[in-house]
Amino acid sequence: MALNPTEPKWSLRLPADCSIAAIRNVYELIREAFGRQERLEIDCSSVDKADVTSIQLLLSTARTGEAQGRPVVLTSFSQSLRNTLRRAGFASEAMIDQHFPQKKDGT
Amino acid sequence: MSAMDPTEIFRQEASELFEVLEGALLDLGQRPDDRELVDSAFRALHTIKGSGAMFGFDKVASFTHEFETAFDRVRKGEIKPTQELISVALAAKDYIRALIEDPQSTDDVIGEAILDDLKRFVSFDQPAAAVVEIAEAPPLAPGGSKQASWHLYLEFESHILRNGSNPLDLLEDLCKLGPCFVVPVTDGIPFLDEMEPEDCYLKWDVKLHAACDKDAIDDVFMFVQDELKLTLSPLEHVEAPAPAPLFQLLDEEPAPMAEMPAPPVELPAAPVAEQPVVKTEPKSRPEPKPEAKREERGIATVRVQAERLDELMDRVGELVIAQARLTQLAASGSDLSIKMIAEEIERLASSLRDTTMGARMVPIGSLFGRFRRLVHDLSRDLSKPVEFVTSGEDTELDKTMIECLADPLVHLIRNAIDHGIEDNATRAANGKTEQGRIELAAVHSGAQVLVTVKDNGGGLNTARIRAKAEEQGLIAAGAVLTDHEIHQFLFHPGFSTAQTISALSGRGVGMDVVKRTIENMRGSIDLSTRPGQGTTVTLRLPLTLAIIEGLLIRVGEGRYIIPLPAVEECVELTAEDERSRGRNFLNVRGNLVPFLRLREIMSSSGSPDKHQKTIIISTGETRVGLVADQIIGNHQTVIKSLSKLHSDVTIFSGATILGDGTAALILDVAQLVAMAQSKVEKQHISEAA
Repeated sequence: MALNPTEPKWSLRLPADCSIAAIRNVYELIREAFGRQERLEIDCSSVDKADVTSIQLLLSTARTGEAQGRPVVLTSFSQSLRNTLRRAGFASEAMIDQHFPQKKDGT
Repeated sequence: MSAMDPTEIFRQEASELFEVLEGALLDLGQRPDDRELVDSAFRALHTIKGSGAMFGFDKVASFTHEFETAFDRVRKGEIKPTQELISVALAAKDYIRALIEDPQSTDDVIGEAILDDLKRFVSFDQPAAAVVEIAEAPPLAPGGSKQASWHLYLEFESHILRNGSNPLDLLEDLCKLGPCFVVPVTDGIPFLDEMEPEDCYLKWDVKLHAACDKDAIDDVFMFVQDELKLTLSPLEHVEAPAPAPLFQLLDEEPAPMAEMPAPPVELPAAPVAEQPVVKTEPKSRPEPKPEAKREERGIATVRVQAERLDELMDRVGELVIAQARLTQLAASGSDLSIKMIAEEIERLASSLRDTTMGARMVPIGSLFGRFRRLVHDLSRDLSKPVEFVTSGEDTELDKTMIECLADPLVHLIRNAIDHGIEDNATRAANGKTEQGRIELAAVHSGAQVLVTVKDNGGGLNTARIRAKAEEQGLIAAGAVLTDHEIHQFLFHPGFSTAQTISALSGRGVGMDVVKRTIENMRGSIDLSTRPGQGTTVTLRLPLTLAIIEGLLIRVGEGRYIIPLPAVEECVELTAEDERSRGRNFLNVRGNLVPFLRLREIMSSSGSPDKHQKTIIISTGETRVGLVADQIIGNHQTVIKSLSKLHSDVTIFSGATILGDGTAALILDVAQLVAMAQSKVEKQHISEAA
């Protein structure tokens, strides 16, 4: 897990394990990226282990970005992450959109 | 000094939970109506599942989940835990343990077979009763009217995720009660800088449309009730068509984004004020500050690696030796302040020694729990119903001793069931109850712990033991021996009276190993039996293996330690006793006590002191005097093992370092007496020849 040099500098790919067992590392990485990047794009395509802590971290990241006026965009939610979101009650696309700023179809 | 691997911590915690689970399952076999036992088993299962998932043991989590689901009917009281069901549940527990400790040894097929068995038992038994029960208990609102919908507000304690609990699993369980609309409440999510990523900040607002009573909802959260603020209020019955429940959506293949259902329509909430609101607070104690709570949890228990305790004990041992040197040095000088400091350090070292030894003490109950399963399985395999009773579980013993005791006790309990307890027909013929009884007890006795294994079986067959001993040439035919002496042959290597060799016993390998293991711990083993009434095996064990109280004596130029618990009294060898050379008996208040001259055993040079001292020791039922030149006094003895080169010198159990830096050997009094007895016997045989 690291900033991906082959993609735009502001892209951060989350690791496969974003469950509580590994969430502190993910948290540190996001904070570090936040400190460096003006604009942050988080690629969620590799996430295959997610739980409440992963959801909370993404919510907090979005909220922090919004408060600081530094856009945070989440891209490519993996199926595993989507399942976890739905289990937590983010059952519709509208709800997910409401809480997680997403970039879709290259927009 | 490295931090422990988190998965290793999980393994250790799981190991403790398995003991709880096994204990609860075995108890359920005896008390099938005890709800607390069912809950205890479920709490253990639930924690194993949650922690397993958290630490990446996915197979454990999924198997345990299936186990939980299958056993759920027992929890709901729909079926009773039969012996067959308990046996399968125990097998399931063993399988989970294997998944954690040795996953290579497991096979999915075995796991599936166990789950099939489990499901068969829970579905086969009394299905009709369950239906009737549900039919007879229509859901009622607290006010007594029919109630089909509930409004819940869930706020978990912040640390709940760290315990391995997963709110999403609970929400899923809740959804199984009926159509459920879960709305996450994100107000509490902090900014990144203020966040503890493992804490729980999400809350949930849930509307449950299910014809269930409050207890059914409480059941879902029963394992987290201390960590959950649950606000529960009934909703008015809603006639609107129920939208697709969340759990159905989850079971389906996730739909593409565009096909996702619309957000759930907010259903009109009942006028809450008119209905009673049930609030479940996490126990009604004042809410401490988060820091205080964390501190409280930290102080309660600290998990320490066993090796660190061993290391600490070694350091304390070194300190005790250094302190002895300081005390000796101070005593030889005249500086009062040095003497005072030496005394203070002696006091502190003594206190530190006691504290450290206390930290190594473990209740023997942790060991006893394992044997319940052994008795259960043996009882089933041998078709001998056996009641297993334990007492003195709180008795504490050094952790090393506990580890060493496991195998000997397994052997003794196996023997008691296989050989001791008679078969049903014999018991019935002798007017005994069908169920045999094995008692495992521990009790403190001075500086020792007595562990007894007692059965109410047929007792030892002394005649058969004697015949076997004669057959093996261990004794001459017709030799005069007491019953106690004959029973000692059971501890002879290769001695077995069993007529057939079974998986359990009969090979004659065992009791000698048991005896050796116990003696290696500086303990002793004793047998007593009453024909037709049973046998009791008593293990006498020192409290610790690390530091003992000893009596320091001098024999010639050498100094030796006698373990103080073995010492009964010290007397002077009188001129009359001296004159009895050749008889070697002391007259102690009218009782004749044999004595051994340590100078002869140690081949000491030089002439003996004028006033010889006798230390009367007891080993089991034998009292013997040991004659020494001088009794120096009590000594805190830090035991050091002898090298392998000295392994055949059985009369010493170790060595210690004295205050002046010299070494003193620790006498193994039981071996010393045995050696002297064997010497006397050989002398008698040669005289007779």
